[in-house]
Amino acid sequence: MSRDEVKIGVYICHCGGNISDRVDVAMVAEEAGKLPDVVISRTCMFMCADPGQELIAGDIERHGLNRIVVASCSPSLHETTFRSAVVRGGLNPFLYEHVNVREQVSWVHASGRDATAKATTLVRAAIARVRHHEPLSPIKVGASSRALVVGGGVAGLRAALDLAGFGLPVSLIEKSPKLGGRVEGLGTVFPAGESGAELIRTLVEQVSAADEITVLTRTHVTGATGYVGNFSVTVSRDTGNSSAIETEIKAGAVVVATGSTPYRPVEGEFGFVRFPEVVTLPDFLRILDQARSGGALTVNGRSIRRVAFIHCVGSRQIEGIHEPKPDCSLNLNCSRVCCTATLKAGSDLIERFPGTYVYDFYRDIRTYGRGHEEIYERASADGVVFLRYEVGAPPQVTEAAPGDAGSMLVTVRDSLTAGMEIEVAVDLVVLAVGMEPAEVGALAQTLKFPSGADGFLQEVHPKLRPVELAVAGVVLAGTCQSPRDIEESCASASAAAVKVAGLLTRGYVELEPFVARVSAERCEGAGACVSQCEYEGALKVVEAEVDGQTVRKAVVNGALCTGCGACVAVCPTRAIDISGWTLDEFEAMVDAICADPMEVAGD
Amino acid sequence: MSARADPTLMKEIGLFGAADVSACFNCGNCTAICPLSKGDTVFPRKVIRYLQLGLTGQLEESPEPWLCYYCGECSATCPREAHPGEIMMATRRWLISRYDWTGISRLLYTSKAWEIGLSLVLGLIVVMLFALLHGPVVTERVELNTFAPVPSIETADWIVAALMTFFLLTNAGRMFRFTMRGVKAGLSVYLSEISTFFVHMLFQKRWRECHGPKIHWLKHFLLVTGYLTMFFLVFVFLPWFQTDGWNVSSLFGYYATAVLLYGTVDAIIGRLRRREEIHKHSHHTDWMFLFLLFSIALTGILVHVFRVVGLPHATYYAYVIHLAVDAPWLILIVPFGKWSHLLYRPLGMYLVSVRARATSTAAAGGVVPNPV
Repeated sequence: MSRDEVKIGVYICHCGGNISDRVDVAMVAEEAGKLPDVVISRTCMFMCADPGQELIAGDIERHGLNRIVVASCSPSLHETTFRSAVVRGGLNPFLYEHVNVREQVSWVHASGRDATAKATTLVRAAIARVRHHEPLSPIKVGASSRALVVGGGVAGLRAALDLAGFGLPVSLIEKSPKLGGRVEGLGTVFPAGESGAELIRTLVEQVSAADEITVLTRTHVTGATGYVGNFSVTVSRDTGNSSAIETEIKAGAVVVATGSTPYRPVEGEFGFVRFPEVVTLPDFLRILDQARSGGALTVNGRSIRRVAFIHCVGSRQIEGIHEPKPDCSLNLNCSRVCCTATLKAGSDLIERFPGTYVYDFYRDIRTYGRGHEEIYERASADGVVFLRYEVGAPPQVTEAAPGDAGSMLVTVRDSLTAGMEIEVAVDLVVLAVGMEPAEVGALAQTLKFPSGADGFLQEVHPKLRPVELAVAGVVLAGTCQSPRDIEESCASASAAAVKVAGLLTRGYVELEPFVARVSAERCEGAGACVSQCEYEGALKVVEAEVDGQTVRKAVVNGALCTGCGACVAVCPTRAIDISGWTLDEFEAMVDAICADPMEVAGD
Repeated sequence: MSARADPTLMKEIGLFGAADVSACFNCGNCTAICPLSKGDTVFPRKVIRYLQLGLTGQLEESPEPWLCYYCGECSATCPREAHPGEIMMATRRWLISRYDWTGISRLLYTSKAWEIGLSLVLGLIVVMLFALLHGPVVTERVELNTFAPVPSIETADWIVAALMTFFLLTNAGRMFRFTMRGVKAGLSVYLSEISTFFVHMLFQKRWRECHGPKIHWLKHFLLVTGYLTMFFLVFVFLPWFQTDGWNVSSLFGYYATAVLLYGTVDAIIGRLRRREEIHKHSHHTDWMFLFLLFSIALTGILVHVFRVVGLPHATYYAYVIHLAVDAPWLILIVPFGKWSHLLYRPLGMYLVSVRARATSTAAAGGVVPNPV
């Protein structure tokens, strides 16, 4: 397509006022309309709504447009929407340019004049850039249909089963000798109160019965290479006699279900370690699970009549109040499940061992889930006594004097009793410890998994792509992503399985075409690009015969290239470009911005 | 010094009528809505909190339950249906039993059998005393003063009154000690606030600050006037009141009877209907209180009617029954039961005002002028 045939359509969205309340959209459209090759320049109340999309498709047909620019919200919301509209109009989806005039303009500028000026400049730049757009096609790569599930807890089991349900072969690896994870030791689990062990038994039986699933226990990942559709993951299996077997698993996608570990209080934190009467909630649940109901609960031969539960241990930590870990980090997050689990444990205790008194020391009670508030109600009806502490004044756990009603004293400034200092004698102190991410290990290191400030693996977007990791082909299931209960873990595992199935059932994967490309004429095979490339196998220099001469040329593996552009910057002959993000496009944009007569100036 | 939690108190308060203290999640709506809760005496939340934690000492020292007149607005607006108004009521019962050093109060409040049994025994004792000791039975005409001579009855009256006063005052003394624990107030402070006691005792002034219809206050006020009228007739003016002829004191008797009958019947109907918050919960001691008071008024007026109509036997029988219901009232309900609120409530308000004045004086005296 030659330059003189360029016909550009420009659309400015009101976003129902979100944009037009600040930005004079009519003026932006008018300014854009004055630019060469702009055939249509319009505004629309909602571009993303059907009439807006139809406008684009219709204009392409009516006016023979071959470049489209839409100025609206963030591209992460509607870029694909408008690309589809462009396709419906009969154009290649990559002949489209998106301008964000909402998040980056109307929402962040107070002055309407400045906002309008900035929007106009950005639209100008987009128009300048879109001229250079070429039709591109997604990169199609053959994909292995096997899914690798890492972690055999409740989320891993759920994901493996769902994947098997799609007919996909699954490798399920678990580093411990046994499938099941943490759920097994929880006793009965909320909200319905079924047995965690029973739940796991059912899942494990189903997994064992599924022909599609290969289970490898005592197995951990030692390294991984490849890309979506074609991962190669090496795993090491501990055979039990101090030797390990290394195997390679070829998988099209990876489900990470590595879970979490309970926070381990430091010595002395609420008397932990110092007093044997101080235990963590998971420990207590195990004790409760194994105890016979009736009479008094017995722990280490001692009869337990009064129990204190302390919430938020190792969760919702605050700088300056809580002791940071050796790596200077704090657990800022709420662990979400401990409130309901604690209340349920208190209720179970009272109901199974009548006459036991339960004191609940909390910062806040967050029984957020369906059926969780009922557990709070039950605890309250069972007579659990609640005491509230402020974050800066946590309960103090000390030894009681001999002959007291309990062996431990928990003292708190109770904000429910006007900050009065209350002392409770108890036989056992249970610390409701939070969740910390489990070590993901070599898999995370070799495939470069991103994690959030809290250390949990981080999805691309909490709402738009909630189970996908930024590494294409890797999805998240369960508590490796954030603290969550069994229900939520299973839901995310099922979602992850569907995501993987969508990817692998076609036999190939489509990758974005924004990858490096090499101009054979300009490339002199210097290799600066290769040494700069972060992604193994994405770029290499090969020898080729040109006119009877052996020359060195850089070659790109589109499946492995992420389009980061590091190679572009170092090429001495300007032989490398990123498709869709070429240097010519950047120059055109910069020129357009610099040439803009409507300067963005402060009042 | 921290306060010690005691998990058994919540169960104990249940015996006094607070069904579900643990339902409360301490939001404080009750305290916010209560027009009487202000300044240093905030309730019901604090009281409920003491109950939940089992802070027996703090609760004993709390005059707050006596400051509540149970309009029931807190119960009506409680998001957890914990019935804070009734919890306050139960706490008053509990406090009465804590003030009482004999343990009889506790027995009556926590056991229906003891309450009914002791009442019956006392009634029977009265009947037996009359069977053995009554005067000549004149059958030609009604001669009540021959059957039951005023001097004997008056002597019995005063013996009972002395006993009742002794128990009431010693219990009130304990209330005083509990409430004023750790408070230092000079005699002048006590004297300066003394009017508070009488104003509240006679007029229940504070009740008028409650939201809702003032009719509850008015009915109660009339009942008080009727009761006090009857009290003075029996304990001071008996020689005039218990007459076989006509005396002007009868007019006062009519008033008292009318008011007592109306007040008790109205309350009984209210408690049976259970429409208003104040009537929704009835402890067995509430029923006993109303039953005895109603019976006293009814048998009293029957004695009068039978005498006026000229039915000697009916008059004498009615008189014996009248005294048989009087006995458990005077001996049980007055010093150990619900009646004692007549003393504790104004005393509570009085002590609160003494305490407030004592602390404000101490604070004012403690101010050191800033040297800078």
